[in-house]
Amino acid sequence: MTNPVTQDRRHFEDLAEGEVIVLGKTTVSKEMIFAFAREFDPFPFHLDEAAAKASLLGGLSSSGWQTGALSLRMLVDGFLSKVASCGGLGFTDLKWKKPVMVNDTIGGTVTIAGLRRSGSHPKWGIVTLDFDIRNQDDTQVLTMRLANLVECREAVA
Amino acid sequence: MTRWFEDIVIDEAFPLGSHTFSAEEIIRFATLYDPQYFHIDPEAARHSHFGGLVASGWHTVSLGHRKMVDALDAEAERLRALGEEPGTSGPSPGVNSMDFKAPVRPGDTVTYELVVTSKRPSNSLPGWGLLFNRLTATNQRGELVYRAELVGFSKLRDYRMPLKLRLLLALSRLPIIGPRLKRGT
Repeated sequence: MTNPVTQDRRHFEDLAEGEVIVLGKTTVSKEMIFAFAREFDPFPFHLDEAAAKASLLGGLSSSGWQTGALSLRMLVDGFLSKVASCGGLGFTDLKWKKPVMVNDTIGGTVTIAGLRRSGSHPKWGIVTLDFDIRNQDDTQVLTMRLANLVECREAVA
Repeated sequence: MTRWFEDIVIDEAFPLGSHTFSAEEIIRFATLYDPQYFHIDPEAARHSHFGGLVASGWHTVSLGHRKMVDALDAEAERLRALGEEPGTSGPSPGVNSMDFKAPVRPGDTVTYELVVTSKRPSNSLPGWGLLFNRLTATNQRGELVYRAELVGFSKLRDYRMPLKLRLLLALSRLPIIGPRLKRGT
């Protein structure tokens, strides 16, 4: 049975190891930081500019989970929305290298690090994706390796 | 952790509470951060292997973080009420692994729990300890939703700074020498 939503998208067979996806850019505003922090990370240094100034980082920074979520959004826009994605399996080695401060612009690349067929499902493949997220000064802020399921055109015989 | 590094008990379960996910909040989160069709469009999601709308994994994980922040706040309050001084946690360097095991659907209630699996003094940050935390999320049917191995920092109570570091710290607080020292590092 073909999935009408994904039938015209790239499938597992269309992907190649080493492919580099250049992500778009996102500028992280004060309002974005406050909105995420209120719901998911209500520490004073993500919610209040005066408290942030007095904190270890010396200014307002985004939640590390928000930096990850924004990186994911850039991957959806640049890649996953054009691929027959079946969702994420998880990730390894997520590293918050440097804080993302208010009005920083983040972007970067995601590289296809590996492709393998699923052992449990004949029409699924697993793509592993290496994130390299940087700020406007080309300083690395986040890295991680994400594993995502992708539909295959042909089932394994 | 709002406990001092020395007071943290290995393998003690720390319940973080539960959250029930509504379709509205699943779509709202995913529209901003993970706009794949099975996270934002209930009609289109029927064609996916999920068979319907599911929450972004990043959403259930962010909520788990919120639950941890709330539980640690409550623990700090509890300690203050007993007249004790709560410990201090530092920024997290990262996550060793995150495994998404079962999807979260509208109406599902997810219960979160934290366990410190091991700890050691930090080599890079004097006065702090490293905590290796396992966070598990389970749905109302007892199925594992995700398991995360997180790394965190916690302050040492019984730490005495070596003389060399104390001297450096004192110098860095002086008006003219201080800024130069900081620039140099």
